[in-house]
Formats: sequence, structure tokens, C-alpha cells
Amino acid sequence: MLGGWLGRVLLAATVVAAADRAGPFDISLFNTQNAPDAHGQARLVFGQSPFGVAVTADGRASYDVRITAAGLPDPSTLGRYSAYVAWAVSTDLSRWDRLGTVTNGDNTVGRAELNKFLLVVAAESTATSPHAGPTVLHGTSPSGWLQSFLSHPLFRGIPP
Amino acid sequence: MIGGKNVLFTLAFALVPAIASAQQKPTKPAKKPSSMTGMPGMNGMPADSGRRKPGAKPAPAMHDTSSMAMGSMSMPIPMPAGMPMIPGLVGLKPPVGEFLPAKGVDPRTLPLANPTQIARLKDGDTLDLTAMLVRRVINGRAFAMYGYNGQVPGPLIRVPQNATIVVRYHNRIDLPSTVHWHGVRLDNRDDGVPGITQDSVMPGGSFVYHVHFPDAGIYWYHPHVREDIEQAMGLFGNVRVDSPDRDYYSPVNAEQTLVLDDLLINGDTLIPFGKDAPDFALMGRVGNVLLVNGEPRYSLTVKRGAVVRFFVTNVASSRTYNLSFSGAPIKVVAGDVSKFEHEERVPSVVIAPAERYVVEVAFDKPGRYALVNAIQAINHYAGEFAAEVDTLGFVTVGATPAAPSYAKQFATLRSNAKVTQDIDRYRQYFGKAPDKRLTLTVSISGLPLSLPLATVQFMNVDTAYYAPVEWVDGMPDMNWLSTSKQVRWIIRDDATGKENMDIDWHARQGSVIKLRIFNDPKSFHPMQHPIHLHGQRMLVVARDGVRTKNLVWKDTAIIPVGSTVDLLIDASNPGAWMLHCHIAEHLGSGMMTVLRVDPAEAGGR
Repeated sequence: MLGGWLGRVLLAATVVAAADRAGPFDISLFNTQNAPDAHGQARLVFGQSPFGVAVTADGRASYDVRITAAGLPDPSTLGRYSAYVAWAVSTDLSRWDRLGTVTNGDNTVGRAELNKFLLVVAAESTATSPHAGPTVLHGTSPSGWLQSFLSHPLFRGIPP
Repeated sequence: MIGGKNVLFTLAFALVPAIASAQQKPTKPAKKPSSMTGMPGMNGMPADSGRRKPGAKPAPAMHDTSSMAMGSMSMPIPMPAGMPMIPGLVGLKPPVGEFLPAKGVDPRTLPLANPTQIARLKDGDTLDLTAMLVRRVINGRAFAMYGYNGQVPGPLIRVPQNATIVVRYHNRIDLPSTVHWHGVRLDNRDDGVPGITQDSVMPGGSFVYHVHFPDAGIYWYHPHVREDIEQAMGLFGNVRVDSPDRDYYSPVNAEQTLVLDDLLINGDTLIPFGKDAPDFALMGRVGNVLLVNGEPRYSLTVKRGAVVRFFVTNVASSRTYNLSFSGAPIKVVAGDVSKFEHEERVPSVVIAPAERYVVEVAFDKPGRYALVNAIQAINHYAGEFAAEVDTLGFVTVGATPAAPSYAKQFATLRSNAKVTQDIDRYRQYFGKAPDKRLTLTVSISGLPLSLPLATVQFMNVDTAYYAPVEWVDGMPDMNWLSTSKQVRWIIRDDATGKENMDIDWHARQGSVIKLRIFNDPKSFHPMQHPIHLHGQRMLVVARDGVRTKNLVWKDTAIIPVGSTVDLLIDASNPGAWMLHCHIAEHLGSGMMTVLRVDPAEAGGR
């Protein structure tokens, strides 16, 4: 079991981090070395639904993704690219759902219907090309806060 | 007391000390929780009990609940399969007395509850409505519960629009009670709220309601005293108000009323309620046996191609549903107090406690269509979402074609010009600044920090994220221990800082109020709240800054965690009207206020 000062430090760090969370709809976007001056924020907004809460038939939230970006260079400066595209990516990177194009400023790019996902903005050959280009911004859905505790001694033995 | 924002860790267990008085010697956590996964969903329930998990993995199959045996101690709260109790909570009980209806009475001596019967009434008619003890048999087990006129759900009252009926209510249960006519814009004195519009009707007492129904649609009635007990034990029924317009709805082959409910049962026993205060105060009581029209299995048989109109009401204490019919096309027609401006195709029906929706479904092919509640639960230990599907029943479709065929009408998405014209009168107010801003939050008091550090860490990290909508209770042990003695759910007036019943809120009759409600995600245990306003109608004009495109008059609106929702209230009905969360345990933990609509001739503020 974690205990003593180490545990308390971890606890404090957890609390501080948690207290700063912006809510279940906000995503901070971080840049990569491909675009060091780029930055952005994303906001998940429930899609229009007569029920107020938009979900799929199996209960996954259905969000319209809004991205506010700044500092994005002309994509052609990164290579043979013409557009930035936002992707909702499953956490095992197996699924890339195209959301839409991103430019500096405010963008409503499309709908994400994954429980947990990475939000990736990448330079692409065209707005409709399959993903192949360099990532310039990335973030994690707020549900990324969910952590696994299965390896902790307290909870050991729980089925994975 | 601990207020909302900085509490993440205090929390953890704020609740634990308060329960010290009821604490039993803790036992060690189960060494082999995996043994639970092999247990049947419910002791004594048939293997085919309607609960199915297509492709379910052992851990994510959270919703099949099993009583949790901890050493020699029997833990009465069913835990989701794969979820052990939180270390440190084993053996604890909520610091309240226990209550179940007719304690000590053999259920076999009580009259068996009947299915709902239709009570057709005309303007001026009188109905005797008696809340009484009944025996309900659920999955082969008999329980002493409540019912109106011996029925669960209570009588389906059918009245013509603009009728006024007299309801002679008789309380023959073992608790004080009233009848609230949910969604009905009736006279304030008949609203059924103790302390506001009437005194509670004591056991053996009676009260006469004059109920006027100005709006067509589907409504419901239920007690407004200890809803966490009385409503959960069976006191609910629908009112269907029929429009004089024979073309009000599209033609269909059949109509069905679906009343959605759940019960928390462990083997042979109902989980007792808090006698002097509601338990399950954090998330509300989320049942593990899902019921439709009071029964664990819904069944309907129709002909091929039949179009069925369902009038759906969620009477559960806390559960929000996501319903669908095995891919059969669904069209949503109406909501709480009116039809939608435009009919819409939807993949499923999301319905929070107290809401109603009218939907039409086409069953085109022969076979069995499962009515399912499909949601994404959170496995707090694995830190993952887990698909969960509960089968509530089946619609069996025969090979013989339905006659007449209404396929063409079903394929048409109507626009309801009268609804739009009515709403047009209010559009000028959509963009105005809010007249009132309320924040939804919670405070916890009386807390301890006696849990293992790692457990506290787990709780802290786990509570760093809350889903906008929590569909199930992933930690029923913690939830059970929380009572309204420690948990105070709050509606806070942003302008004055006043909370709940201390808020002094007046409006003039005939005014249009823009109410902005924010559900604070940084409060300790944020949760969605179905906010219900009595006696008026309202429009959800925007969510998170996005205008609603297809409007409908509502009396209850879900406010997800972190969301800001703008409601436009048509304050046309004078009187003192409650606004509250319709999660019964949140209401029982203080989450209510009053909107006083002063008669136009009296002025008002």
C-alpha cells in the first residue's frame, strides 16, 4: 500500500490537478515540435437532440467538437500538405474518425462518438485524405481522467 | 461544512465518520472478488431474467448485481459484478433507521396488485383514488409495497383536454402523503405539495383535488412526500389528456403506455429505505431490477408492419434511460407538455426521471424486437467505460401484415404548425439576458478521514472526471451510506447566494422568465439533475450556448454535469410552484426552491 510522505505527495498532486479540471467538456490542446507556436482549446457540445442529451443507440455521448486554434503555420511549410484535419482517435490508435478541417480561429469540426478518445490535429495532403501527416496539436477527452486502479494492492484480484 | 469547489479529497469520506455509530467491525476485502462474476444476477431470479450483455466481458458486465459476501458478514447492497466494495466501507451502514412498507406484515395477507386499468373520465367526473398496501410478486418473490386503487401503475386516467375532474384521495398507507399532478397546469391549491399548497394527508385521512387539464399529452401523478419511498414502492400513475383534434397524432395500429421504473432488491428482500432521512443521497437509488409497467418483463405482439405509438414515462427515482427497439425505426412526436415543432427520427429515446416522451415505432419485419436500455457505465476500478444492455421486454411481430398499413404516415415527419405558432409568441424572449441564474451544486458535512490513504487516493482520482450523465450507480456502497444528513444538494441563486428554500423568487403572472441553470462540475459529487418546475410550462431554448432547433414545451429538463441550460418559463399560472431536482433523494436532500407567480392584478416583482 502506498503510505507516508510518498502517498501524501501523490494525493496532493492529484487534488491539485483535479481541482484545475475545467469540466467534462473541455480539452486542452498541446503542440508538438512540428508547430511549436500552435496552441488551442476544444470544447465538446452535445449534438442537437430532442432529448437534450445526444447519445448513440448504445449510449455513447455524441458531441459536436469545437476547436479554437492559434499559431498554426501554413500547412505547406510542413511538407506537401494543404490542410489541417481534426481526428477523434480511439485510445489504442486503431480508429481515426475524421472530424473536419481546422484553421486558426474558431472551428466546429464535426461529431465525436467515442467514450475516450484523443483529439488530434494533423497536417494532411487534403481535407479528405486518410491520416498520414504530422500531428501539430493533440489532447485527450475529459474522460481520460479515468484511471485504472487494478494494479494497486488494495484492488488486486479484480477481473481486468 | 465543506462547500463545493475544493473538496475533492475531503470528500472521500466525509461520509464515513458520520456512520460511525452504525459501524460494525470492518472485515477484509474479499480476496477473490472474481467469484462474484459467476453468480446469478439476482438470487432466485430465473436465469433468463431479461438482463443480457451481448459480448460482455467479465469485468465490464457491471450491471448484473450480486449480493456481496464479505467474510461472515452479509453485505446487503448488491454490487455490480466485478466491482468489490471500496476498502474501508465494508460493514458500514447508513446512520438512519430502516423503513419498509408494512413492516412485520406477511405480504401474503395483502391484496395482490393488479395491472393498471383505464379510468375514463369526463369533465366534472369524480374519481376515488386510494393509496394502499399491496402485494407485488417480482421474479417470484412477494413484497409488501404500495399501489393506487390496488394497481401498479395506478389507474391510467384518460380525460378530454380542458376537462376538470374531482379526485377524492384517501391515504391508506403507513406514511403521510399527497398527490402531485406532474406537468399539469392546474390551480395551485391542487398541486399536492405539503407545506406549500396543503398539509400532508395523514394515514387514514383524505383530501379532495380539483384537477384541470389544459394541455393534451401524457402526464403522471405521484406523492410529494418521501418520494424516495412512496413513489419507489409503487405510487405512480399516468394521465392521458386527449386532444379534441382527431388528427392530433398520426394514425397508428396500436398505442401502448410504458412506465419505466427500477427496484433495488437483494435476493428475497427489498433494500430498506432510510426511515428518518433518505439514503442513497449522492446518486439516488438506482435499482437493479428494471420494470416496465411494474413488471420485470414487457411483452407486446403486433402484426408485421405495425406502427405503435408509445407513451413513455420515467418514474424511477434516479435512473436515466436510453431506450431502443433492436434497430426498429423510432420517431419522436411529443414531449412533456406538447408535441415537438417537428417530428424527428431518433436512434434511441433518452428519458430522465419524470420526463415523458411520445414516440412511434415501426416494426417492419417478423420476429422479436428487444426493448433495451443501452448505456455506457463506468467501471471505476478499471477506469473504463463498459457497455451495458438491459432487456426490458420484447415486441413479437407476426408474419401477417398489419391492416391498415400506416407505413406512409410513419415515413412522413410532420411539422406541427400550431406548436410553432404558439412558440412564436415567445421567440422575442429567447435572446434576452437571463432573469435568474441558478447554480446546481452540493455540500457535504460531518466527515472523517479514516479510510486507507490509497482508498482516498482512488476516490480523489476517480472523482476527477464525472460523466455529464451517469447512467448507473457504479459505487452503490458509497452511495448507500450517504444520507441527507450529510449530503445537501443545492440550488444556489447566483445573484444573492441564497440557497434552496431561502431563495426569494417572485414573478408576475403573464411574464416570461429566462432561467439559466449551470450544473457545476467542480462540486464534490456532480451529477445530472432532471429539474422539474411545477404548474408552468417551459422551453429549453439553449444548451451550452447552442440554440435548440426543435422546441417542445416541457416541465422537466435534464441538466448534465458541466452544462449551462437556458429555460424560458411561461409564468402564466399564479401561485407558489416548486422547482426541484426530480431525483427523489436529491429532492429529499434539499434540492428545491419555490417560484412565486403573483397574480397579474396584484403586481409582483
